[in-house]
Order: sequence, then structure tokens, then C-alpha cells
Amino acid sequence: MKAFAFTFLLTVAGHAAVDFNRDIRPILSDKCFHCHGPDEETREAELRLDTYEGATEGGEFKVPIEPGKPDESEVITRILEEDPDEIMPPPKTHKKVSAKELKLLKQWIQEGAKYDEPWTYKNPVKHPDPTVRTEDWPVNFVDRFILSRLEKEAIPPSPDADPVTLLRRLHFDLTGLPPTPADRDRFEESFESNPQAAIESEVDRLLTSPHFGERLAVYWLDLVRYADTVGYHGDQDHNISPYRDYVIRAFNENMPFDRFTREQLAGDLLPDPTQQQLVATGYNRLLQTTHEGGLQEAEYRAIYQADRVRNVSAVWMGATVGCAQCHDHKYDPYTAKDFHTLGAFFADIDDEAHFQNGTNSLPTRREPEIRVLTEARQAELDSLTRQIAALPPDKLGERKKLEAQRKKIAASGRPTMITRALAKPRVSRVFPRGNWLDESGQIVQPAVPHFLPQIKKEERQTRLDLANWLTDLKNGTGGLTSRVMSNRLFYLFFGTGLSRSLGDFGGQGQPPSNPELLDRLAVEFYESNWDIKKMVKTLVTSRAYRQSSLVTSNLRERDPYNELFARQARFRLPAEIIRDNALAVSGLLVTDLGGSSVKPYQPNGYYRHLNFPPRKYRQDTDRRIYRRSLYIHWQRQFLHPMLKAFDAPSREECTAERPKSNTPVAALNLLNDPTFVEAARVFAERILKEAKPENLARLHHAFELALNRLPSDVERDTLGQLLTYAKNDFKKNPKSASSLINIGQTKPENFDHITLATWTTVSRAILNLSETTTRN
Amino acid sequence: MNAANFINRRTFLQNTGLSFGSAALLSQLARAEGLIEKYPGLSGFPHHVPKAKRVIFLCMAGGPSHLETFDYKPQLDKLNGQAMPESFTKGQPIAQLQGKALKVQGHLTSFKQYGSSGQYISDFLPYHQKMADDITVIRSMVTEQINHDPAHTFMNTGTAISGRPSMGSWINYGLGSESENLPGFVVLTSVGGRNPQPIASRQWGSGFLPSRFQGVEFNSTGDPVHYVTNPEGVDRQHQNALIKTIQKLDAQRNDLVDDPEIATRIRAYEMAFRMQASVPELTDLSGESQKTLAMYGAKPGDGSYASNCLLARRLIEKGTRFVQLYHRGWDHHGGLEKYMGICSKLTDQPTWALLTDLKQRGLLEDTLVVWGGEFGRTPMFQGKGGAGRDHHIKGFSMWMAGGGVKPGLSHGGTDELGYNAVQDVVHVRDFHATLLHLLGIDHHRFSKKFQGLDMRLTGVEPAKVIKQILA
Repeated sequence: MKAFAFTFLLTVAGHAAVDFNRDIRPILSDKCFHCHGPDEETREAELRLDTYEGATEGGEFKVPIEPGKPDESEVITRILEEDPDEIMPPPKTHKKVSAKELKLLKQWIQEGAKYDEPWTYKNPVKHPDPTVRTEDWPVNFVDRFILSRLEKEAIPPSPDADPVTLLRRLHFDLTGLPPTPADRDRFEESFESNPQAAIESEVDRLLTSPHFGERLAVYWLDLVRYADTVGYHGDQDHNISPYRDYVIRAFNENMPFDRFTREQLAGDLLPDPTQQQLVATGYNRLLQTTHEGGLQEAEYRAIYQADRVRNVSAVWMGATVGCAQCHDHKYDPYTAKDFHTLGAFFADIDDEAHFQNGTNSLPTRREPEIRVLTEARQAELDSLTRQIAALPPDKLGERKKLEAQRKKIAASGRPTMITRALAKPRVSRVFPRGNWLDESGQIVQPAVPHFLPQIKKEERQTRLDLANWLTDLKNGTGGLTSRVMSNRLFYLFFGTGLSRSLGDFGGQGQPPSNPELLDRLAVEFYESNWDIKKMVKTLVTSRAYRQSSLVTSNLRERDPYNELFARQARFRLPAEIIRDNALAVSGLLVTDLGGSSVKPYQPNGYYRHLNFPPRKYRQDTDRRIYRRSLYIHWQRQFLHPMLKAFDAPSREECTAERPKSNTPVAALNLLNDPTFVEAARVFAERILKEAKPENLARLHHAFELALNRLPSDVERDTLGQLLTYAKNDFKKNPKSASSLINIGQTKPENFDHITLATWTTVSRAILNLSETTTRN
Repeated sequence: MNAANFINRRTFLQNTGLSFGSAALLSQLARAEGLIEKYPGLSGFPHHVPKAKRVIFLCMAGGPSHLETFDYKPQLDKLNGQAMPESFTKGQPIAQLQGKALKVQGHLTSFKQYGSSGQYISDFLPYHQKMADDITVIRSMVTEQINHDPAHTFMNTGTAISGRPSMGSWINYGLGSESENLPGFVVLTSVGGRNPQPIASRQWGSGFLPSRFQGVEFNSTGDPVHYVTNPEGVDRQHQNALIKTIQKLDAQRNDLVDDPEIATRIRAYEMAFRMQASVPELTDLSGESQKTLAMYGAKPGDGSYASNCLLARRLIEKGTRFVQLYHRGWDHHGGLEKYMGICSKLTDQPTWALLTDLKQRGLLEDTLVVWGGEFGRTPMFQGKGGAGRDHHIKGFSMWMAGGGVKPGLSHGGTDELGYNAVQDVVHVRDFHATLLHLLGIDHHRFSKKFQGLDMRLTGVEPAKVIKQILA
């Protein structure tokens, strides 16, 4: 590797040296590996270009790549070939090597055609803080890595955002809820005397808020594909909401990520597992299931196994091992056998009863389940158990009474699916070409992918071994897991990951723009004993986080995807937060934590295509409809239209990054969905109640509540005109005013109808603004 | 919403004193109002001159029996009631008949040849008999999924794994939209027949393509599109004043932060406002002539398959590129004769009317109409409440008509019992490749990167265009 280090120096041509993983692997992977890569079965001309040996010796060619001599390397001459039978990649692939890529390839060969193992699988290195010229900018090591890169590119970081923008950013990022005017006053005051101290104390406050767990849970639940229904065919409800609450609690209690991993994958295999550890194993039950008439069990065993492999590899390893179901991975070193041995870890999960006893009822049957009590009810239960035990044997009547009470409490718990291990796991075998009907394949035991550190154990390896391996730095793949999670946390707070491919750290993914920073974060993460809150705090108290999200045209041109982080990100809020924000601003939000899923307003007939059984949506009719959106009933086949319009995923598969669309359907939703119309009216009531009875004071208060700032002159005039128009209109049509203010479950408060309807229109405008729904 | 309405809007704005601010603002709003840029499609698309510009996919969900529609097998009647020869079924995937004795079920209807093409069509489909020379029946379809949900997913997305784009999304992504006021991919559903199979919105999902390409379902009751109706107490003028205010304040904000997403958002609000008028206008069939309504057998507002066929024509007239129409009653495990009767009665005439109407309007030339389910049904008997048939994936029938397809053709065939497709086998992938070809797209060159892979509607296995059926 010594020779490799030299290539970091400038080359003769004056270009920065080529880095194999950053510059070359993506080209070879995309243009060559499909036929000349790791998959032996489809390899052409016996040539593989994914290893140095293969490229310099292998195949039917004398010199596919001649280090130091690009012009004598067949790889280059074939790219330059004009004969369609000879040119590479072949025309039928519709792939072309661009001029820039060719130049890079040549330069790389010129410099010795050095290969490097994929960055993904190397253990992260604790790079020291880089030196920077602008010493007064960095707050912590994150800033030093970012700034040192920026200084190389001669790009200055963006100025700090103003305190209000920063406060809103912190609140949305850490709790998913907007700051109140009181929050703003407090923050602005302390910010004035010491910005960094103000930020740190605000962050500490937010990290102890129960809403922090809710905010992070929204992301985690996307990854693990948490939903309230089975997904396939009849899409019946299944019992799982206590798992969601476990996730929220784990984040709130700052459970170390390795323990979080262990409990979800293998809580049932821990010694004397607690109830919460069993609830955590609901993770293994989150996949889509079916009991559709006429299903072939063997087929679905294969489907379930593949689903679990896809998820565990995506969530913890940032890998697309699912690609190796039928054949060796085309771009990464995973073989089809790896796919099946990884699947074998899950062959002990006892979850097949539903093939026989799954019912077309709500919820359907998906044993095994346990019943989970709230903490208070659990305490009552424990106390009763003790009382019963302490009773003298002759007190039969008393005993009977207490036992009846105990039984009643025990039955009041929420059922939830858990994992129970079979004494004798199912036989796992390699299915040739992924064909489950072909039982000629080799029988396999649980094992981790062959090219990664192996679990050393005589007996059958278990899910617990797998979980430990995933977070074991020395004997496992903990470095990779740490990188994957650090990258995703970075993405949550900067809008883009250090590697933009949040879901694919493989050869076809995008290598990190700042690999040293990603490495350092990964090391800090596991060295802190996988302390998530500490990692979050490091990220959001950095100077880089504080930057303005305004982008100059120059910067947009230099760095359109914000890979250098010379600015903060501006993006539309996630679906859940858009709704929660409207409810919070109006004062309607109910902030209860956890519990069964809730059913807010939804268009009639939306479930009409569901059958077995036919579905009628029973909207809740109490305050639950104002609870936070992460508690909304997640119907996989027909996700709530509001969530769907704003890109929440159906959670059929792992989602590491949601799209951020901007569509008319979303506009219609925000304009006309009764949730938002009612929120606007209750917001109007709040304005009328809390502000002085003058239009200007009211408008100021409305802006303070919704945007934590005062309106500009133009905003004031524009909304003033709308107000005048609305008032005149409602005066002419007082019935319309009554109709509008009566939308929703809450009854309008006792205000003049015309005034309330007028302010409802103004509130609708404010709740629909880009600024209201955007994280800046 | 067109020129006339804009003039009204402008006048209205002046009257209500909602004037514009800066010049920049004016131009942004003008862009939003006048020129919603139509998404032009991918550059270089179409790859070749298309024969079809749009598609109506009549999805007979549940899996109609090929043996009671198009696939006539005299041998099936001869062996009626006898044990199904094991040579056919050994080692084959099987659905509800797993572990049961398998016996041959003869045709539950009679067949005759029709038209100058002499295509076999069953007595369940008297109107189809009249179309024998208009349609190309593919009698050799095969698929890979034997249960409804994954089989639909396979037919629509080319794979059974959830989360991939459906063909309607792919096509709009590739070719762009022709309408400013309506979505390019619309889904309509109707029921009638045996216990309708559920159908998931994943069937019209856009997967990893931008969500603007996802199918929009038009509802037959309530709002035709969710939230397209104003809240009670708000009329169109009032809503207009509100939207104008939002757009103006957003434009104002954009002057400060210069964010292209805000410009897009201003246009999205404009399109939303237009849809509030155009969608109800489109779904209101009361303007259609009695003659047309009678031809389809449609009653305005009844949500029937007939009404949906008529709606499909109206949609493509306005520039919607892909209309998918589900009829969900074709899962005939038992009582096949009865339920075939019901489904055929509900769909046969309207399908004929749609084809006839398109022909009369000169639209059939460049509109591709497709008819078919997610799979076929077994030659073997199943008896859940009278004779029926189980799911079958090794051979079934679909048909295509219109843009670029040879009319009056039989393509491919199954064996003597209608079990395996044996002649000119057409896999779902080949069907997709052909569909794209007719639309001017080379399926090899139509991919999108996702999780590091070049994803295609036709997947990674070889797929071929069915050359023999091209006009």
C-alpha cells in the first residue's frame, strides 16, 4: 500500500491523483462488472476486472490492463474501438465510457492501475483533526473536516443562519415540532450573549424531550418497514404497535445502538428476556405476510426469507444482498450462497402458523404474540400477583376476587407479535436461480457473507450471533454498521448523506464525498458505546450545521448537490411533520406518547378495494385524531392519502431516503383536506383569542405562531387584501361562513361567524405557505 | 380551464384589488398561470416513430378463464371428468388445488369461429364476436406468479417485489405528458362478479420514479380525485383568491431565497386549481349523447365498467397517456358459469363500445387497447359452489387492438388441453417489450438507476418484441 500513498500527490499532468474507490471503481462497476465482475456464471471471456490479478493476468487476453501503459492495455483499446463487434462496452448494453471517464481510466493505468479493496468493508480510521486556516470557524471536529475540504476548493462556508431560522431548524430536526413564541424569546435572548452556549442548551433541552424519540422513530420505522397491516392480498391488520413504542422509548432513553440492534434481531435469545426485549423482536415480524387461499407454503417461506435478508442487509449493512437471491451479486462480493446462509439465520423464527390459521378478520392471526401493559397497569398486575401469593390458603373468596382482577388486567394489554425460536430450525438450502421449486441446491447453515470476518463457533450460529457480529468492530462488521448509521444521521441533519447512497454502500453506490469525516464519525460513534444522542449533539452543535441554507448562484454551480456542505439544506418537511406542524400551530395537537394506532379523517370509500374482509374505515371520534402523525394507522396497500401525497412510503421495503415531491395532489391536500381546514379554523380562533382585536395585531400574532417572525410589508398588504376579499365574500354569503367554520370534529368557538370564517381563510393561506412547510 | 377563464380570473383579480407586486413576481405568476410547462419526457424519446401514443389497459382482475373466452380445445371436452394426465401437472406450481385429485373440466360454454379471421370466441362474449377482426388474441401468455396480489404486481411492474414502478408510470416518465390539466396516468375501478379480489395501490405506484408519475385513481363516488373539491363554504372565486395569495407570498419568499422548488410549487398550486375544474368536468358524463350512453350501456354517475370505458375515452381525448381500468370479479374458483355470465354481461358490450367509439373518432389508429387478467385458469376442475377453475400461469389469453397491432390475428397457442403455452410463447416481459415498442420505446434503452442497478420494466431476463403481431 505504500506505493498507493504516493498517488495522493499531484501527478505529472497536474491533476490530483486518481483514487481507485472514488474515481475508478464506479466506472468499472457500471460499465464492466456486469460481464467482467464477481459473478462467475455470467462472466465473459473469462475476464474479471474487479481484481488486480484478473485485470492484469486473466482472461483470454494478453494484457487487459498493463500497469503504467494505458496505450498497451486492451481495456483502453477496446473502449476506443470503432468496430461494433469489438467495442466495449458492447452497443447492446447502451453504455458508453465518456471522455472524462476514459481520461480517468488512462490516468489510473498510467499511475500503476492500483486496486484498493472496497472502502465499505475497510474498518474506519480515526483520522486526526485536519488543520485549517480559518481557525475561528470550527466548533468541533466535524467542522474541521468540512472546512479543510472547503479550503482546498477555495470555497468559503456560508454565514451562520439567523437565530430564528436556526431555532426552527433545531426544533423540526430534533422533535418534528415548531418552536413556540416563548421558545423564540428565550433562545434569541441567550443567543445574543453567547450563540454556542444558547445552541447547546437548546439542544440539550430538545434531546430530553419525549418528542425526540418520536422524531427519530419516524426514520427508523421507514428503515425497518413498520406498518399496521400485513401488506399482501387482504392487507388485514396485525398487532405490532408496541414495537413502535419500543423504538420511541429506545431513542428517548438513548439505548446504545448495539443493544438496540441485539434486542430487535434477537431479544428472545437473550438470557431471561424482559418483556420489552420480546416486544423488540417484533422487528423480525414486520415483513409482509399472507394467508391468501391457494398460496404455496414453500414459495412463501422463500419469499419471507428473501424479505428478511433484504431488510437486515439494507438497515445495518447498507447493502443490496437481495440482488444475490438468484445469482452472485453483479457488483459486490456477495454470492448467492451468502444470500442463503444469511437467510438461514432467520430459519428458526416460528411464524408459520398463519399459513393455516390466518383469518380474514381484523386483526388477523399472526402468532406468536404477547400482551403488553402500560407501565402503570403492569405495576398493578405485579402488586396483585404479590398479594395473591401472600394470601393464606384458606382465604378462597379473597383469592378468587384478586385472581379475577388480575386476569382482567392481564387481558387488557395490547397484543403484539414477537419472535419465538423453533427448537428445530427449518432446513435452508440454496435455490438455484432463486427457484424455490428446485430442491437440488446445497443445504446451508447460518453464516455471514464469506468475504467478511467470520463468526467462530462450533454450534449453529444464531440471530444473536448475527446481531453481535453486526456491531462487533474486531470480529464482525461493526465498522460498516457504524458508517451506515452515522451516514444516515448526518443525512437527517444536513439533508444529504456524506455518501449520497443511503441505501447502497456497494460498488454501484456513491463513495462518500468526505470519506475521512465519515470514518471519523463512525469511529466516534462506536467508541462512544454507540451513543446516538451524543452523535446527534455533535452534528447539530457543529458550525457546519449552523450555516445558512441560502445558496449563491456561484455555489450552486460549483456544488449543485451540496456534497461539500458549504451550506445547510433547505427541504420540504416530511409528511408527518407537515401535519403535526399545522396541528401544533393551531393548538389542536395532542401530544400523548405511544399506544394503539389512530385513525384521523380520511376520504370515504378509500378502502373500497380492500377485501377479506371488506373494509370500512372507522375514523376515531375523539381527541386521538389530533395525535402526532407517526401514530396514524399505516395501511400498507392504501396508505393514508395525506401521508402518501407527501411521500411517506408504504413500508413494504426498507426506505432509507424518501423522495421529496412537489405535486398538485399535495397542494390539493394541504388546501382542502379537512385536517388542514379545521386546523386553520382553530388557528383562527387562537389568533382571535390571543391577539389584540385589530387586524394588524392579529396578523402579527399569526406570523409569530406559524413562522416565529413578523410579516413583511408586502406580506401584510397581500394578506390584508385577502382578508378584505374574504370578509366581503362571507358578508354576502353568511351561510358559506357557517359551513366553513363547521368543518371538523371540534365545534367552533363563540366568535362572529364572518370574522372567524375570514380569519380561517387567512389561516389557510399561512398554513399553505412554502415557508410553513419547509425546513430551512 | 382555458383562455376564457384566465381572462375572467384577471378581471376578477383587478376587481378584488389583488394586484401584483414586483416585475419578477409578475413574471413568475404569469409562468405559473399561462404556461405550466408540460413535462417533455426523457431526451431522445421516443426512440423510433411510435405507432401508439396512448394506452387503455382493460384489466380483468381475478384472472378470467382462457378456456371460457378465447382458447378452444376439443380435447378438453373429450376428457371431461377424467383424471388430468400427470404428465401435465407433475412438479408444477399449483394454487388452491394443492393436494387434491385433479380432473379435467371441459369447456363450460361453446365456441365458434368469427369474422373473416375466423378467431374462436366463446358464447360468453357476443360483443367480442363482433370484434373478431379488430383484435389480436395472444393465446400463449405465461406469467410467473400464481397468487393474485403478486401476479398483478408482476403484470404491472415486471417483478413480484414491491416498490417498483408500474408500466403506466414508466411510460409517462419516458414519454412525458400531453395534458396540462390532467394526470398522465389514471386508474379507474369497477366491480361485479365473484367476490372481488382486493387490489393494492402499489399496482399503480411509481416505485423509485418521481411520485408525479404515479397513477391517480379517479373515484366513482365522492370526490373524483381526493380533495379536488373545495371545502364547504368556499366557492371557486374564493379558492382562487386564496391560491393567488399563496402563490404571491411564495413568489415573494422566492425573491429572498431563490429556491427552484418554490417555483415548482407555485406551478403545482396552479395545476391543482385547474384540476379542481377539469376533473369534475371530465368525470361528468351528462354531456354525452343518449346514443353514446346507450352504446356503452352507461348511466352517468353509476361507477360501472361501462361508465369507466366512456371515461377512459374522455381521458385519452384530453391527453392522458395511460388509463388502466380494473374490473374485479373474475376469480372463478367455483360457479364459473354463473359468474362468467355476470362479468361478461358487465364488460362485453362496453368493451365493444369503447373500441367502436375509438374507431369512429379516428382514435383507435394511435391508441393501444389491451384486455387481460393477471393469469388464466386451470384446465382442471375446482368446485367451490359449482364447477370452476383454479389459478393458472402456464398458458392464458390476452388481446390487443389498435395502434400498431395487426387486427384480426391469433398469435401463439397452448397444448391440446390448454395447459402449457407451447407455440410462440409470450412471457409478461415480452408483452411489456411489445407495449413499449408500439409506443416508440426500445425497452433495452429504457432504464433508471436504482440501488446501483439499471432497472427496467422488462427486467434482466431476455425480453422480445412480438414481431408477428405488429402491423
